[in-house]
Amino acid sequence: MDLTLVMQGVLSGLLFGGVYSLMAVGLTLIFGVMRVVNFAHGDMMVWGMYLAYMLATRAGVDPYVSFLVCAAALFALGLLVQRGLVDRIVDAPHEMQILLMLGVALVLENVALLAFGPEPTRVRSPLASATLWLGPVFVDVARLVTFLVAVTLTSALGAFLYRTDLGRTIRAAADNTYGALVIGTDVRRVYAVAFGVGAACVGAAGALVSPILPFQPSTGLSLSVASFNIVIIGGMGSLLGAFVGGLLVSLAESLGAVFLKPSLKELFSFSLLIVILLFRPAGLFGRRSA
Amino acid sequence: MTPRLTRRAFLRTTAGGAAVLGFPLPLRAQAKTFKIGAIHPVTGALAEPGQACRLGAQMAVDAINAAGGVKSKGGLRLELILGDTQTKPENGRVEAERVVSHGAQMLLGSFDSGSTNAMVSVAQQRRVPFLIDIAAADPITANVARSVKDGQQKVQYVYRNFPTGSSFGKRAVQYFIEIFKEANVSPKRVVLMYCNDLFGQNQARGFQAAHKAANPSWDIVEVIPWPEPPTDLSTEISKAKAAKPDIIAPITRPASALLLFPEIRKQRIEMMGIVGPGSPGIYESGQIAQLKEDLEYVLTSVPWANFKNPKTSTVAEEFRKRSGGKTFDTNSGYSYDAAFVIADILERATTLDDPDAIADAMKKTNYSGGLMQYGGPVAFNELGDNANAIPTMIQILSQKPVAVWPKEAAVQKFVFPRPRA
Repeated sequence: MDLTLVMQGVLSGLLFGGVYSLMAVGLTLIFGVMRVVNFAHGDMMVWGMYLAYMLATRAGVDPYVSFLVCAAALFALGLLVQRGLVDRIVDAPHEMQILLMLGVALVLENVALLAFGPEPTRVRSPLASATLWLGPVFVDVARLVTFLVAVTLTSALGAFLYRTDLGRTIRAAADNTYGALVIGTDVRRVYAVAFGVGAACVGAAGALVSPILPFQPSTGLSLSVASFNIVIIGGMGSLLGAFVGGLLVSLAESLGAVFLKPSLKELFSFSLLIVILLFRPAGLFGRRSA
Repeated sequence: MTPRLTRRAFLRTTAGGAAVLGFPLPLRAQAKTFKIGAIHPVTGALAEPGQACRLGAQMAVDAINAAGGVKSKGGLRLELILGDTQTKPENGRVEAERVVSHGAQMLLGSFDSGSTNAMVSVAQQRRVPFLIDIAAADPITANVARSVKDGQQKVQYVYRNFPTGSSFGKRAVQYFIEIFKEANVSPKRVVLMYCNDLFGQNQARGFQAAHKAANPSWDIVEVIPWPEPPTDLSTEISKAKAAKPDIIAPITRPASALLLFPEIRKQRIEMMGIVGPGSPGIYESGQIAQLKEDLEYVLTSVPWANFKNPKTSTVAEEFRKRSGGKTFDTNSGYSYDAAFVIADILERATTLDDPDAIADAMKKTNYSGGLMQYGGPVAFNELGDNANAIPTMIQILSQKPVAVWPKEAAVQKFVFPRPRA
């Protein structure tokens, strides 16, 4: 086996893991707080991508700048979806929630189809074609940047949840909704903010990966599935779990492509899921009661 | 007080109006038309090519009718009865039954091999001559030809004007050998990369089988499939690089092309060039606009329109307008030609009331007015396939797709090996 190839595989896998982590953080936040599985997750991300695409093609804004705008836009969308729809079914059984979120996913996907057409597309950015060479191994600058932003965003989100009053309130509402209500927390507002922040993470993730990952309206479903896989591996509701899970899944796929046929690489990520569920049913960083 | 328009009143009025407007249509005296069931995947995953096929066929029928219809049959006009498989193979049969019950006397379709095969059973059972415009799987026609030969069925009603899967592979290997010879180079190591779906697998298998049969001086040293659509191809390209290729031979879909070509450039692979056995869609202006220099000098073997024929450019321009800016390509082109081949068959058929007479005229087809690049006239062999339906090697030069091989199809000389960056 070619050592350079293995090193390259590890490096590419870890860096691309940043993309996966970003995807998963928003999903895990929403689930952790509300116990609602957001099946529209991937489609929200696709909307983040299309927003970045429009900003790049119409206004000439690079996605590595416009991801902040996309995050803000998706925050608003998340708030709207939460206040208008999710709020009504927060206490409903899971299957009701799943149906609603699948409905939202269908609407988002088909509006994108109407607006942008079925062809796959990609955002061009000068950063996306830049590479750094470390001897025989190369570093993809776009992925490096995405990776660093993923680390920063996850840390910032952690700081927000653990160091600010609003963050503490969100965690309180997540831990014990009834208790939070008793001490006078506006749980509805907390939920809306949490859903908005989760959606904002996805929006940022969409914009940041739009130069790396080609997308079309139907991409949403596969992104949702990949995100669920990561979140379950990391532990539903755990931020650190989503981050580490993203890196692990990407590394597994990359090394799978190195050592076996690349067409089998998804076998690796989903086998990882099964193995982890066998030995740690709550995921790597999940709590049993979750 | 002014009368208020209530919902009921509104509905009554509009329904009455609709009835008045809608009724006279079937009563109006109409000239007799020859109905062709045109079935394509117009919705679902293959909606994009399916819609291109439908528009191609419709444009051809419009042109035929505008030029006076089928002259030997008193200017008989053609009419398409449209069908949609929704990209579900089993619907090929359902839709074929439906259009036949609506009076279709011939069938045209249907892009993907699965639904085309489902249409074949209707064509043979109900004796409806069927011209396949696009579908590559070899067995579709071969199975019918065999059952006719074995005496299980009397007449073959199914013919195909499109390259077969195996012929794609053979031609690609042949073009590789010829281009290397013409360029006076002798690459040794070819890395084959393909999208691991039905299309990609068939193309890759055909290419490998043809390579084995031709036994050329170059080897396929590594075969790298990826799941389609992919999220990341960097490791795949690293793997290709590790195989020290002279040539990378990719089989891509539009989604994977957006990942593959930039990644090849990023990883700076020293090689003679990218020469593919077939990547549908990379010639679309949208793809070229997105990939820009990453597509420059890429060669790929695809069914291509013959732009040396001045009529092709006119039709391509009309297609661009009616499709909202799309390239007149494999899909629209072969469906366009199919409608003209049908018109030619109807001209020669002794009578249109007997399906066997139409099938007989079909069998004897020798038509050379097609807009696609052929190796000779449209004529059907013993299997019902047109051996002259061949792909063309095209190259992206100065951000435009250009036919470069075989020589008689070339509008420009290829640039190979590609200049070093």
